[in-house]
Amino acid sequence: MLNSLKSILRTFWQGAVRNKGLFFACVLMMTFSLVIFSSIFIFRNSTQNLIRVLEEKMDISLYFKKEVPEEDILKIRDELLGYPDIAAVEYVSQEEALKIFEERNKNNPVIQKVLTEIGENPLSASLNIKAKESNKYETIIQEIENSAFKDKLTNVSFTENQKVIARLNHFSQAIELVSALVIILLVILSVIITFNTIRMAIYSLRQEIEIMKLVGASPWFIRGPFLIQGAFQGLVASGLALLILIPLIWWLGPKLENFAPEIGINLYFWSNFGYIILIQTLFGLALGLVSSFLAVNKYLKI
Amino acid sequence: MSLVYFKNVSKSYHGNLILDNISFEIENGEFVSLVGRSGVGKTTILKLLIREEKPTKGRIFFEDKDINKLKPREVVILRRKIGMIFQDFKLLENKNSFENIAFAMEICGCSDKEIRQDVPELLKLVGLEDKAGNFPYQLSAGEKQRLVIARVLAQRPELILADEPTGNLDPINAWEIIKLLTKINELGTAIILATHDKEIVNSLNKRVISLEHGKIVRDEQEGRYLI
Repeated sequence: MLNSLKSILRTFWQGAVRNKGLFFACVLMMTFSLVIFSSIFIFRNSTQNLIRVLEEKMDISLYFKKEVPEEDILKIRDELLGYPDIAAVEYVSQEEALKIFEERNKNNPVIQKVLTEIGENPLSASLNIKAKESNKYETIIQEIENSAFKDKLTNVSFTENQKVIARLNHFSQAIELVSALVIILLVILSVIITFNTIRMAIYSLRQEIEIMKLVGASPWFIRGPFLIQGAFQGLVASGLALLILIPLIWWLGPKLENFAPEIGINLYFWSNFGYIILIQTLFGLALGLVSSFLAVNKYLKI
Repeated sequence: MSLVYFKNVSKSYHGNLILDNISFEIENGEFVSLVGRSGVGKTTILKLLIREEKPTKGRIFFEDKDINKLKPREVVILRRKIGMIFQDFKLLENKNSFENIAFAMEICGCSDKEIRQDVPELLKLVGLEDKAGNFPYQLSAGEKQRLVIARVLAQRPELILADEPTGNLDPINAWEIIKLLTKINELGTAIILATHDKEIVNSLNKRVISLEHGKIVRDEQEGRYLI
């Protein structure tokens, strides 16, 4: 067993060294595949981060008429907490709303002046609702519109929120769908190219495989060096892909963040560096192993 | 128990009958020449013996085992027991002389120590001791064929099949190969030599099986090439 393993490793190394051209052609194609795979992986996860940020900003604010007493609002809050789709409800009193408004506009003298001139708190108390999932906001709005406390609410912000929520939902679904399609397409394309390169490399060695069979080599003895070579190529390609990705992210990251700051590609890349290396290396190993296995198996039938 | 037994074997390719109901036996340690014109079915008989092909009809036994009923794993073992010498050598082009022989030993599970001991001896036996590091493309045709013989011997086979081993060689190299084969046979290994070289067959003075139109037309001890 140990002798066979040593022989397989020796045969792999001889093959790699003596067929350098083929070896590096396969490595280059795999590197290309891995750069595409990892770029999409990073971009997709970063955009998901963007969606998460946007979703976190989503809520429904129910503004109450001024005459509605606080205990009624708190009762409504408790009622809302009983809804299955609602994750949290935050009560903002008239005083808190004013404080927030003043804080937000402390550098705006016109607003400060208007507030002083009015002399009383013009803001309403509100309930800020967070749904468990972003696509539940419309359902919650429907339920609120049919509720008994609908008359205690002012309607304006209600409708505006609904529009924003619908737009965000469409946006996040579109990103999900497009990125999933692009991922599938590009990954399939790169796998086909890599598989065919490895297949061509093994095809050029088909006579050697035939001779090995004729002198009594077992299928695993023949297959072994090709599998190790495929895995090794995957590892080398993963390293090379990383050397391409680092400057690519460094250069492209700030450009994308100018366009959409929440994407945070640079931040995502460096904070998930180990995970990205792991996923990329596993994908490279699988690509090399599976391609080599399928390509060499064709010639191993006895 | 015969080493090889062909029992009413026929083989056809795409409706073309190559072997027509042939039967013969070969004993341990025998030297048998298979003779006949090109395309008469000599190579087919050898291919059937190493299960590179399967017969259309009939049964083939090696050491009492029906070759056609062997599982893939058993076919691998069979091919280690039957060494094959080809007209076109079939050497591993990416390996040098030493490694070509070593490979045959590696697949049998030999240790590095055994390989280091046996390979130089085998190279010496076939007169290639100074060509250990040469790749097949750096060897002459005669040297290549001697290397193939060394590779076959490395597996200590019970039977050697030689398919036109002198076909690509000049007369001097051809005789050297035949001398090597007779020496191996004297040491107890059975040999089937498929050839259409009349001179070689007649000088051997061993058993000759003559084929014509896919049939055995003559099978004589100390026979001659008469076709």
